[in-house]
Amino acid sequence: MDYILSSLIFIPLLAVLIILCLPKHFTQGIKLVALLATGLQLILSVWLYTAFDASATVQGYQFVQKLNWISLNLQSLGLLQIQYFIGVDGISLSMVLLTGLISVIGVISSWTISKNIKGYFALYLLLVASVMGCFLALDFFLFYLFFEFMLLPMYFLIGIWGGPRREYAAIKFFIYTLIGSLLILIVMIGLYTSAFDPAATAVRAGLTPASQVVSAEVVAEVQRQVAAGTLTGSSIVHTFSIQDMQQAANFIPDSILNILSEKQLWGYPVRLLAFILLFIGFAIKLPVVPVHTWLPDAHVEAPTPISVLLASLLLKVGGYGLFRIVYPVFPEAAAYYAYFVGIVGVLSIIYGAMCALAMADLKKLIAYSSVSHMGFVLLGLASLTSEGTNGAMYQMFSHGLISAMLFIITGVIYDRSGSRMIDNFRGLAFSMPAFTALVVVAFFASLGLPGFSGFIAELLVLLGAFSSSAVSGMLPRWLAIVATGGLLLGAAYYLWALQRMFFGKHWVHPELKGEPVMTDLTKREYLMLVPLAILVLIFGLFPSLLLNKISPDINYFLQSVLQNR
Amino acid sequence: MNQVAAPLLTPEQNSLALWALLVLVLPLIAGGLLLLFGKKLTRQGDWLAIAATGLAFFLSLYLFFQVWEKQAVHVTWPWFQLATGNTSIISFTTGVYLDNLAVLMLVIVTFISLLVQVFSVIYMHGEWRYHHYFGYLGIFTFSMLGIVLSDNLLLLFIFWELVGFSSYLLIGFWYEKDAAVLAGKKAFLFNRVGDIGFLFGIFLLYTYFHTFDLILLKNAIASGVNQGNNFLFPAITGQADAITLSYTWLTLAGLGIFCGCVGKSAQFPLQVWLPDAMEGPTPVSSLIHAATMVAAGVYLLSRCFPFFTEDALLVIAIIGGLTALLGALAATAQYDIKKILAFSTISQLGYMVMGMGVGAHDASLLHLVTHAFFKASLFLNAGIVIHAMHHAAHEFSDEHSDVQDIRNMGGFRKILPFTFYAYIPAAAALVGLPLFSGFLSKDAILTGAWGWAGFKSQNGNLLYYVIPVFAFGSVLLTGFYMAKHCFYIFFGESKLYKEPELLRENKTAEASGLLLVPVAILAVLSLAFFFSLNPFNYAGSWVMQGVSWQKLLMEQPGLSGGLLPAITTYLHEASYISLATAILSILLAVVGIWLGWLSYKKAVAAGGLSTITAPTSGFSRLAYRHFYLDAFYEKVIINPFMRLSGGAAAFDKNFIDYSLNTFAKIMVVLAKLIGWVDRWLVDGTVHLLVKVAGVTGKLGRFMQNGKVQSYYIFSLLGLILLFLYILAF
Repeated sequence: MDYILSSLIFIPLLAVLIILCLPKHFTQGIKLVALLATGLQLILSVWLYTAFDASATVQGYQFVQKLNWISLNLQSLGLLQIQYFIGVDGISLSMVLLTGLISVIGVISSWTISKNIKGYFALYLLLVASVMGCFLALDFFLFYLFFEFMLLPMYFLIGIWGGPRREYAAIKFFIYTLIGSLLILIVMIGLYTSAFDPAATAVRAGLTPASQVVSAEVVAEVQRQVAAGTLTGSSIVHTFSIQDMQQAANFIPDSILNILSEKQLWGYPVRLLAFILLFIGFAIKLPVVPVHTWLPDAHVEAPTPISVLLASLLLKVGGYGLFRIVYPVFPEAAAYYAYFVGIVGVLSIIYGAMCALAMADLKKLIAYSSVSHMGFVLLGLASLTSEGTNGAMYQMFSHGLISAMLFIITGVIYDRSGSRMIDNFRGLAFSMPAFTALVVVAFFASLGLPGFSGFIAELLVLLGAFSSSAVSGMLPRWLAIVATGGLLLGAAYYLWALQRMFFGKHWVHPELKGEPVMTDLTKREYLMLVPLAILVLIFGLFPSLLLNKISPDINYFLQSVLQNR
Repeated sequence: MNQVAAPLLTPEQNSLALWALLVLVLPLIAGGLLLLFGKKLTRQGDWLAIAATGLAFFLSLYLFFQVWEKQAVHVTWPWFQLATGNTSIISFTTGVYLDNLAVLMLVIVTFISLLVQVFSVIYMHGEWRYHHYFGYLGIFTFSMLGIVLSDNLLLLFIFWELVGFSSYLLIGFWYEKDAAVLAGKKAFLFNRVGDIGFLFGIFLLYTYFHTFDLILLKNAIASGVNQGNNFLFPAITGQADAITLSYTWLTLAGLGIFCGCVGKSAQFPLQVWLPDAMEGPTPVSSLIHAATMVAAGVYLLSRCFPFFTEDALLVIAIIGGLTALLGALAATAQYDIKKILAFSTISQLGYMVMGMGVGAHDASLLHLVTHAFFKASLFLNAGIVIHAMHHAAHEFSDEHSDVQDIRNMGGFRKILPFTFYAYIPAAAALVGLPLFSGFLSKDAILTGAWGWAGFKSQNGNLLYYVIPVFAFGSVLLTGFYMAKHCFYIFFGESKLYKEPELLRENKTAEASGLLLVPVAILAVLSLAFFFSLNPFNYAGSWVMQGVSWQKLLMEQPGLSGGLLPAITTYLHEASYISLATAILSILLAVVGIWLGWLSYKKAVAAGGLSTITAPTSGFSRLAYRHFYLDAFYEKVIINPFMRLSGGAAAFDKNFIDYSLNTFAKIMVVLAKLIGWVDRWLVDGTVHLLVKVAGVTGKLGRFMQNGKVQSYYIFSLLGLILLFLYILAF
């Protein structure tokens, strides 16, 4: 199974090709291909989850595939090397599993799409493939490629299949994210000029024959020689490998991002600046207050399945980028800015929740609740404690499941009535009892009721943030105390929405188009909501299912950050 | 670092723990089945719920006799782990802890839950969503048992929240009623405020002790050494280092935990949710909002008793005393049959909390037990009365009168004689008349409070006596409002319905044994005899002896520098004055009843019974409105905050988004400008050059037309021009 990770990326791409070859009116076939492709992807990711060995971890990338992709000899500037380098560790594993799950749910949710089905599913699968690629790439260039590639299908999916203000929302989303990725690009180029691949350099410098595996001693020798300045110029192999960038010894002396060179730009250390740029780049994606305003618009205009993907997967790329790239590559800046990151996280938690409280549109309410919940990811990460970082990762996974449920729920109401305004409905529990039961599950899961996965995540994050001052000395206690306000506000806006929409005497605004009949769930809708509800419950009761797989690697991540700060 | 060393367990202990787990999950399984398939079962599955709870009750009895005064069972299982440091792990565990207190609570919870469910079979008969009702009760019983059995704070917190959730479901059971839904929401949110404080208490303890395990915490804290402002605690099993913790942080941790109790046990200032919670079905009020859930806070205080420093206990005592008084005062002005009982519950919970605060740990728990029985009984009886009123209102087609208003009642002594005889012992227990259970427990608490005040005021500060004075004052008030309550309901004539015969003959009110058996059992259990062989002296009470803090701490010394070492002494000394406090409290209660009788007579004489209005005069209006606490929260906290939230949303739209859009517009204008420059200036220059070149070219072409004559003329013209040029310069 050496190619399992590649097949995770290429199965959807292959399906895109097949769909493009199918005739336009053969809609059932197109849908089936999409379902099969994502289904296969799900099976593979579940297999990956079971086959992933959490015990044998040092720097635990597994199922690694590394191919030379682009090699350019720049003479005295050394060798430019871009690799097709993919692998999975505990951190990416949970995201891969989530992608597998949500993609299938998204296809089921897309079943009712009627406009240009062929184009829709082709773009959908393209999106899924790029998200998957993002989570698997270990080469920064490859990561960036997938990261950018998500924009294109997303832009069209919102811009063509969206609601009335879809073009505005699509452009807003596009430009926002593009600005973020430009910032990332700047730092990526900086990193590329500064870092080198010791193993490939050893081969190029003739220290090891190309046929042999480069030993650890030789790597150390190369690093020593480069640091001493005896190995320079054309013999150095520059790299985009995130793995190599994580070691301070792999930076060329006096290069712009070498930690020892202490270069400054406008009187400010370059590495700190680079951290800020990268952080903003990923923070836009997460999203973080105040760069979050694209999210509510994108959500409101996007069709239901795209909202699901957006909330469950695309936001996670932002958090994943922090885990995979920003923190390990700039550990000292991460520690330096922990307070700032923590404050931004808490601001997102409280501000997002307050905005959610004021929303009249259910989908907007849920979009803002996403902002609030993603704040917990930042807070946990900033705490730099075991509890906090594990909690942050768990929150990403858990929010992926819960927000999928929440957006499907708004979709159910919207499909029947063409409206999502909370005030247009009263007492839906009478006409849709089973639906209401699932809404109660989803809402309570999202507000952090014990027994559901969100509780474990938020508990760990708050525990980490609270004990941080005594353990890692990163965050003051008051941050955690303020953050718990989010728990109260979360309960407030969800219970208020429940009260207004689902309880009381049954009433639907008579001026909604076509006098909607609020019938209970269809089989297709059950098929999406019930498995998600069960998963949310299972991961709430048995956190070890996920934590056993991810916590060793998160610990590795944490220790490397703490040691290099 | 944080691994709990597994103590050696005998097979017997292991099996006891497993039985306890079975007790825990039985109601959950039944509840879950009912929620999913209840509609398809015969009788909608009420038998299943009752059978499961019944079985749980008998198993609890078995556990009780195995554990009570014999042994303590502590079994833990790993739940999940986090890798940390180089090789260590952080373990989160689950576990069961059975000691005297746990098994006692186990029996009480399953027993009252069983009785209430039996009662509900008739009471909720024909109700839409009948099976949901029993399902929710199952979930509630499960969560409540979870609180009782948990061996660590995290697990306890989980069940704590779940109890809040099931309470939300049950308060809002009639979700077509807006008031019920609002009350459910309010209860959940106010509880969550307390829970957040609770969470901080847990976090603080975890930060320093790295464990949630109650028994480990208890052992460590109980054997701590006081070093001035700091405590030095021995290393917890499985950990390397001793722990230093300042007095302030430990106090704060204790107060954090107490916040949980303030929310759940409806203490000042969060008590406002409990009166509203009466919107739920009456059996629910009986089980959850009188007997079990609201007492969970007191249970929590008992579990965490060794963690409280002297200052923390002082705060607890003050809050408890204040709540007892405020609840009793508010109860005097109410006329809704259930609201009176709700405020009375708040007041009695205040007694229990105050009891904990003054160190009368066992007395407080005894009051928890006795209160559970007599208050459950009062609520169930109130349910029967309300049922009869509903029936009568239906019979007389009266849709305007409030069937829960006691001024509309009267004469039920003759209409519902059985209920009357079941009500009176429970009411007497609540007031604290001798021979009834409440007398014992209240006397124990009052004595403790008096002893505590004596001990604390040794420094000459007599202010500490305010607490026992509050407590004695509440005794008087309790007598007053309960007497009024009973006179209005049972005596005199039926106010609204002139034909009581009609009511008496109705078959639903008081006919079914399923209604009467639980009521009868609870009425009998209101007698003091069951809790102490000597019904006049609490000292011999088996309950108090079983749950004394010395036993729960397994004979370890208490927190040094805390109150515990002193408690034994002053409580022992206080026991000599228990006779005096008993006589005083009886006197106060009797005076209260007499005042209640006077007030009732006055109301009858003034004909005030027929005028159903909210009180208008100063104090009673204040008490009727519950001291405007609700209005305070509404006006001072909720409304401004909602406005702030609206402001945040507006800021999002009108500032962040607006500036973004404006920025975008500026960019577009700028781009248009650049486009114009590009088109007219840059391109224009090019076009101009092209034009100039074109014109020049045309001119050239015009001259090169191939005619000799024109060439001649142009040459001549050129020559002339040349001459002119030379001549000119």
